[in-house]
Parts: sequence; C-alpha cells; structure tokens
Amino acid sequence: MKRLFAALTLLALSACSKAPSDQPAAGAAPAAGVLQIAVIPKGTTHEFWKSIHAGAMKAQLELAAQGIKVNVLWKGPLREDDREQQIQVVENFIGQHVDAIVVAPLDSKALVAPVETAVKGKIPVIVIDSGLQSKALTSFIATDNKEGGRIAARELGKILGGKGNVIMLRFLVGSASTEEREEGFLEVMAKDFPAIKLLSTDQHAGATRDSAKTASENLLTKFGAQVNGIFACNESAASGMLLALRDAKLAGKLTFVAFDSSETLNDGLQKGEVQGFVVQNPMNMGYLGVKNAVAAIKGQKVEARIDTGVGFVTKANFDAPEMAEIVHPPLDKYLK
Amino acid sequence: MKASLKRILLKGGPFIGLILVIAFFSIAVPLVTHHGNFFTYHNFKIIFTQTVIVAVGALGMTMIIVSGGIDLSVGSTIALTSVIGARLLQHDWPAGVAVLAMVAGGALIGLLNGTLIAGLRMVPFIVTLGTLGIVRGTAKWLAENQTVNYPTPLQKAANADWHTPVDDWMTTADPDGMALPVGVWVVLALALLVALLLCRTVFGRHVFAIGSNEQTARLCGLPTVRLKILIYGLAGCLFGLAGLFQLSRLSLGDPTAAVGLELDIIAAVIVGGASLNGGVGTVLGSMIGALLMAVLRTGTQAMEWPNYFQEIIIGLVIIVAVYFDRLRQGREN
Repeated sequence: MKRLFAALTLLALSACSKAPSDQPAAGAAPAAGVLQIAVIPKGTTHEFWKSIHAGAMKAQLELAAQGIKVNVLWKGPLREDDREQQIQVVENFIGQHVDAIVVAPLDSKALVAPVETAVKGKIPVIVIDSGLQSKALTSFIATDNKEGGRIAARELGKILGGKGNVIMLRFLVGSASTEEREEGFLEVMAKDFPAIKLLSTDQHAGATRDSAKTASENLLTKFGAQVNGIFACNESAASGMLLALRDAKLAGKLTFVAFDSSETLNDGLQKGEVQGFVVQNPMNMGYLGVKNAVAAIKGQKVEARIDTGVGFVTKANFDAPEMAEIVHPPLDKYLK
Repeated sequence: MKASLKRILLKGGPFIGLILVIAFFSIAVPLVTHHGNFFTYHNFKIIFTQTVIVAVGALGMTMIIVSGGIDLSVGSTIALTSVIGARLLQHDWPAGVAVLAMVAGGALIGLLNGTLIAGLRMVPFIVTLGTLGIVRGTAKWLAENQTVNYPTPLQKAANADWHTPVDDWMTTADPDGMALPVGVWVVLALALLVALLLCRTVFGRHVFAIGSNEQTARLCGLPTVRLKILIYGLAGCLFGLAGLFQLSRLSLGDPTAAVGLELDIIAAVIVGGASLNGGVGTVLGSMIGALLMAVLRTGTQAMEWPNYFQEIIIGLVIIVAVYFDRLRQGREN
C-alpha cells in the first residue's frame, strides 16, 4: 500500500514537472516553415476516402510548386464507424499543434467538442463531406446534395419526356445528406414536371444493399407494370434496386437514375439497365480542403460554404475526359 | 545485488515499461517528424483524458480478474448505459438522475453476470460472451438503432436555459489551459478507493482468496457465491460510470460505441501485472497499463505511423507483458 502511494506521488510529481518544460517546446513547434495539415477521413479503406486522400496530395504537390511547403498528415479512425476513435485522432492532432485540420466528421454532433477545442487553440478547421453542428468552423466544403437531387429529377424528367409514373426510393430515416437529395428531387418534379405522377416516395431502402433489395422488391411487386422511371438516392439503395429489377426481368425496360457510382452501377450503365447517375467529386473535396486550410493559415478570407460540384454520368460521357477524375480517380498518380 | 536489481525490474515491469515508452516517443517524435513534440503537458492532458474510460473499466476488471473471473460484456455495458443516460437527458431528467441510472444499469448487468456465473456455475468467459450480445442488442433496441441525441450546442444557443453538465466532464475544452477534466480526477479518486478496498478490507482479502484458490476459499467457509455476485455487481457500477464518461465525450448516446473496448481494458489489467489465473493484480498496475495503451495510441499517431502499426504494437506489448508475468511467477515458485 505504501508503495502504491509512493508511486502515485511519483506519477503526480512527474506530471507537474512536465509543465515548465512545455513552454519552450510549444514555441519551437513551427520548425522549418513546413505547414502541417491534418486530413481526417471517416475511414481509410473505401475508395471514396482514397479519392479524398488523392485530392489532398494533389493540393500538396501544387502548393509545393508555388513554394509553399505543406505536409499532409492523413489519419483516419482505427475502426470506420467509431466516433470515439475519430475524436481521439482530432485531439491528438491538437496535442501536436498542427497548423490546420481538415475533417470529415463521422457524426454531426459528437465531433463538435473536439473541433471547437481546436478552434479555441487557434487551429483553423475545415469540415468536408458531412456537416457539423457548430458555428466555429472555418469552412464547410461538400457536395450540394439538394442540387444533386434536382439534377437527377431534371435528367429523369427529360428522358421520360415529362410524363409517366415515377418511384423514388429513399435511403435512411435521419440521414441528412440523402434527405436533401430527396428534397431536391421532389422539388424539381413538382415544379418542372407536373405531368409526371409520383407513385411512391415514402419507402426507405435501409442501410444495406440487402435491405434495399427487399424494399425494392416490395415496390416492384406493387407497382411493377405501371412504373416508367425510378430514382434511388444513394449507392446502396440503387444497387439493391438494380438487383431487384434484374430479378423481376424489368432491368433495361424502364428508366433508372441513381446517385453515386460503383462497380455494380457502372456495369448496369454499360448494359443499359441504368440510364445515368449523379456523381460527387471526392477528389475535389480533399483538394479544396487542403487549399483552403492553407489560405486560412495565411489569414486570407475563406468562403464559409464551398460546393464541390456534382455531375451526371451517362453511357455517352462515361469515358469523357472531364468525367475521368470522378469515375476513375487517378489514385495511383498521387498515392504512390 | 544483481538479484535484487532483477527483482525490481520484474516487480516494477509495467512502470518501467511506461517510462521507456514515453521516453522513446519523447525523443523519437521530434527527431523523426521534425515538428511537434510529444513530451509536453498539453499532450499529456489529452492522453490522461483519453485514458479515463479504459481506466475506469480497468478498475472494475481488476477486481474481477483478481477473483479469477473475466468480463467480456464491458464494451456493450458502456454502450447501453450511455444510451440510458442519453434517453433520460433527452426527456429532461436532471444530470444527477441520469448518472445514478447509468451506475445502477451497469450494476444490474454485473449482478446478472455474477448470478449466472456463481449461481449457475457457468464459465465466466462464455456467460459474458453471451451477455456481450444481449446487452449490445438491448442498447440498439433502446436507441431504436440510431444515436440518441439530446439538444445540441446550436439548440442550446437558441434556448439559453438548456444545459447539461454531463457534456463538460470529459472535454479538453481549452487546449492551452492547465486544468484537467473532471473525469481524470474521478479516476484518481476511484483508483485510491478500489485500491483501499482490495488491500485494506476483509472483502478485498476475500477477493484475492477466491482468485488464488476457490475451493480452499469455500472450504474455509467463505460465501463464494455471494462474494462473486458482489464482485461483478461492484465492477458493473464502475462499467456504468465508464458509460457516463463515454456519453460525456460523445455528447450523445451511441449504441455502437466501445465495440471491442473490453479487450483494451483486459489488456490494460494484464499489462499492469495481473494474472488471468486469478489471485494476482494491483490497481496501480492496471492504471499504468491503461495509461500505456493511451500513450501507445497517441505516440503512434505522433510518429505518423499507420493504424495497423498501432494494432500490431499493442498486440506485441500484451505478449511481452504476459512473458514478464511468467518470469515473475517462475521466480516466486
């Protein structure tokens, strides 16, 4: 027991003695004039995040060519859905006194406290991809999801010639980004295509491709013969719908517009089962994230909201050069 | 002389290990990365904060492991209690009630584990593997399969009356300030309490007795069944508190939080010198083990090593710690 007390005191003492040594250390931090920019994705294995990484490295190369030395510190949470881990990663970067943080928050609320801590420590924070419920951040750089939904509605309406019966498959209850897409889609449908009849807009696909397929099968059983057009508002919902359409022998017989690309959907596009999909530009998110982080460090004005743009991919423009960066992001060029 | 040096090395293993690891990162981080420092008060403030949840869990786990048991349901218990707390805060219950409910929730799960293990004479590993699933499922059920949000900072700003002290207990709020969050002080106080309980009370002696040799303990007239239920129940209280700190850190109830955290907690206790065979273990060792985990995690990030390195290194540390444990036991026999 005595030993325990002695050791505790020792621990406490060693903690105290750390305090004075800290002062010179903090002053010496910004050595060599290299800007340390932390880029924190939600995960590290999915291709979407690799594209963001590639975009960040592209910005680092470009800035180096302009004589601004930047070091991108790429670090995601250990497990891909672990809020606590992402908080720890942000905190540890604060502890290292990085010059700026670019983060795609796993949760719009859980990440508020660490981000505001960083801002209090005079580290500018750029949020990318998903929103954060905080006013402290420097800039929010993401897809305009509502505009993405509007584009899907315009393209689908155009292919259908402004008439017919349409189904919209939602994603999850409470998923902010996809709800914005659904809202944008319904807005344009109501405004520009009054002759199109919306058969169903209240079904949710659920989190997985499997649950999406079940929901799609139910919809197709109910409305199958009457449906002319379908919009599914994210990758898993669209893939599930595509599988259900193939099972029901309806694939290719009606107009199907999706959101986000994947191998399954690319394959569907080539076979004429998917007429097109709205795509985001993750590489641009990483690129603009780092660029604006540097601008913020240098005290330049940074826009509070930056839209990274959406595009519409069809069979015709799938191989076009302007789509190449999105459909086939040049990961190897920047991540080697 | 040589023999006593060896004894110090073996006895103080965890502490020496911690010092070595801190020394390594303190020298290597500035050398390798050419920026940033590891050995600063503010960095350690963050490390201490990140240690809290594993440390509180390790306090409970120390009692259980010393008594010769194991509890795999800790991570799930933390998730469930954090959801319970968030639900209560969501319905405008005061923070105090939420805290009590979380501790009570943890205690109930502990009592359930203890009853199944001692009362029905089942293996702790299997029983708690079962409750791991049951409790995790219950958490998701209670949370309706999503996170449980109570009012957010923006909503608070709109309605200035609304505030829960829970959110302030685990933040490193002012990165340049000296103050440690409440959670760190609570852990220090609890560590002293549990250490006193294990070393200075009859109950504590009984815990060691059961862990050393359960049959002998029973033959000596100890009420082993009741003792075991009590041990798991008390540990459950601490796991409920860990859930409170998890809630405080996330500022929401997350039914998928702390998946696999039980392994970090068990590792902290084992690295701290406890034996999975029971009868051996100290609170101080477990606290050092918990701190070592956080230092390794922060250090690997500061070194700009990838995530998989971190997992490999922590795995190696556990094996080295168990090897030291073998050496120690070899000497004592």
